[in-house]
Amino acid sequence: MSTVASAEFWAFVGVVSGIYTVLALGIQLEFGFAGLLNFGHVAFMAIGAYSMAILTVKAGLSMWLAAVLGILLAAASGLLLGLPTLRLRGDYFAIVTIAFSEIVRYVATNEDSLTGGSQGTINLSGPGAAAQYNGQWERFQAWLQQTLHIGAKDAAMLLVVWVVALGLTAALALAMRTPWGRVLKAVREDEDVAASLGKNVLAYKLQALALGSAAAGLAGCLYAWQFSFFSPDDFAPLLTFFAWMIVILGGLGRTFAVPVGALAFGLVFAGTRFFDFAPFSYFDSAERAYLRLIVIGLLIILLVLFRPWGLLGRRQEALLE
Amino acid sequence: MSGPPILEVRGVSRRFGGLWAVDSASLSVERGSITSLIGPNGAGKSTLFNIVSGFLRPDSGSVLFEGRAITGRPPHRIAQAGLVRTFQTPRALARLTVLDNLLLATPCHPGERLGRLLLAPGAARRRERQAVERARDLLRLVRLERHADDLAGVLSGGQRKLLDLGRALMAEPRLVLLDEPMAGVNPVVRNQLLEHIARVREELGVTFFFVEHDLEAVMRASDQVVVMSQGRVIASGPPSTIRSQAAVLDAYLGAGP
Repeated sequence: MSTVASAEFWAFVGVVSGIYTVLALGIQLEFGFAGLLNFGHVAFMAIGAYSMAILTVKAGLSMWLAAVLGILLAAASGLLLGLPTLRLRGDYFAIVTIAFSEIVRYVATNEDSLTGGSQGTINLSGPGAAAQYNGQWERFQAWLQQTLHIGAKDAAMLLVVWVVALGLTAALALAMRTPWGRVLKAVREDEDVAASLGKNVLAYKLQALALGSAAAGLAGCLYAWQFSFFSPDDFAPLLTFFAWMIVILGGLGRTFAVPVGALAFGLVFAGTRFFDFAPFSYFDSAERAYLRLIVIGLLIILLVLFRPWGLLGRRQEALLE
Repeated sequence: MSGPPILEVRGVSRRFGGLWAVDSASLSVERGSITSLIGPNGAGKSTLFNIVSGFLRPDSGSVLFEGRAITGRPPHRIAQAGLVRTFQTPRALARLTVLDNLLLATPCHPGERLGRLLLAPGAARRRERQAVERARDLLRLVRLERHADDLAGVLSGGQRKLLDLGRALMAEPRLVLLDEPMAGVNPVVRNQLLEHIARVREELGVTFFFVEHDLEAVMRASDQVVVMSQGRVIASGPPSTIRSQAAVLDAYLGAGP
């Protein structure tokens, strides 16, 4: 039971929670504020990560420039997907986004020459040469450790990820207090009313989708840097639903609920690793991995039953029609 | 009340399946008037409103606002042009405050554009301050000033009707289409509301065109009355002449043998 006490392990949980925060902020913006049912969010994370890696390795760009382009490409993909589909009713839009995220994953799996295929980014320069996009990131991390006198690599990453996550959270909170944010919320509440008052509903939905996708793209880059390697299977649909769980757990329409939800989710997800006592000890460790998901699912069901407004949501708002 | 009409509907038709909900309807609304649209349930009044405001496309015919064709334009463009509507069932934005419901209607707000918000935050803030002042005035007008900071979802049905009216006026329209603005509003407030509509018309020159079932209120408050039945416009004119027309009585009471 050495892992429970290991600082390294909990730093890792913290890093992952921070990356999930960035990812889930996109869902909060798109659904919590603009009412868009995006069930393919992970696709934009994949687009961000892959663009960054491919442009670094194959085009020889600076990794930082590649990351910026990756985030912009994720946003542009959001616009491209949204233009023909955002006119659809909410549930049809949701179906299209699921399909889109699977298409992105299948393309990444099968276009070996572009993405390295199912072997992942290590295969980016073809077989025989282990491709690596992470050099500049590791130099940055080393520089940061030296400058701030941080011993552990994980601690430096924890710092970077949470500065980004909390900065974005604050930016979203500010944006939602502007008249722009008011229009987004109006679109969520009743798009006919927004249109009847002269608001271009489609334009606002597109903006929300593009910005949400950019957040996912950034989360993809952070994910790629943390793990130094990734493959198409890292972007399975499950990740989209993790982001949804975080937003529901924290509270819909509440910006600061996102980091809280992500931490709660990260703790529960990591915590359930240590379920090696009865009755969980009757299962082997592989089975227990699935048990964690069941436990988390049950927790979400209980939360929605007894506290549908989430950990930080406003009770009053959830009760209005 | 002279000059060209502010709104002209020319031979507009719209079919739902086998039913002509609006059947070559033509009418005009004079600038600066209070015109009401009456008729039994199913006469096509709300469908006509939906066509004029861009929420439905007509199968044929055209709609002219201030002399320009707006037929088939998207609703937000029609609203930006100065023609604002309300809905038959009040549509409060429940999880926004009452004040925010009104502020949303502010026309040409620079703070609603991300680019301008970042480049000229000062302009956005100034506009917002003006808007808040105007919104508070309008809230007083519709008697909701005490609820400014409440979520709109807690308002009663009648209060939501008043909120809709205030929100429509906040958009600084030249023509307002009100779909049954008095339904569910208590009689005392209803009379005050009619007075306020008359006053807004006098002071700001706003034209009102509304659907209403309260015939007494209609006859008292409006300059012109348009009567629809089974999709057609069957009569129009000042209240005094409408009152006596046989066709109107037939539409309401059923035609004789």
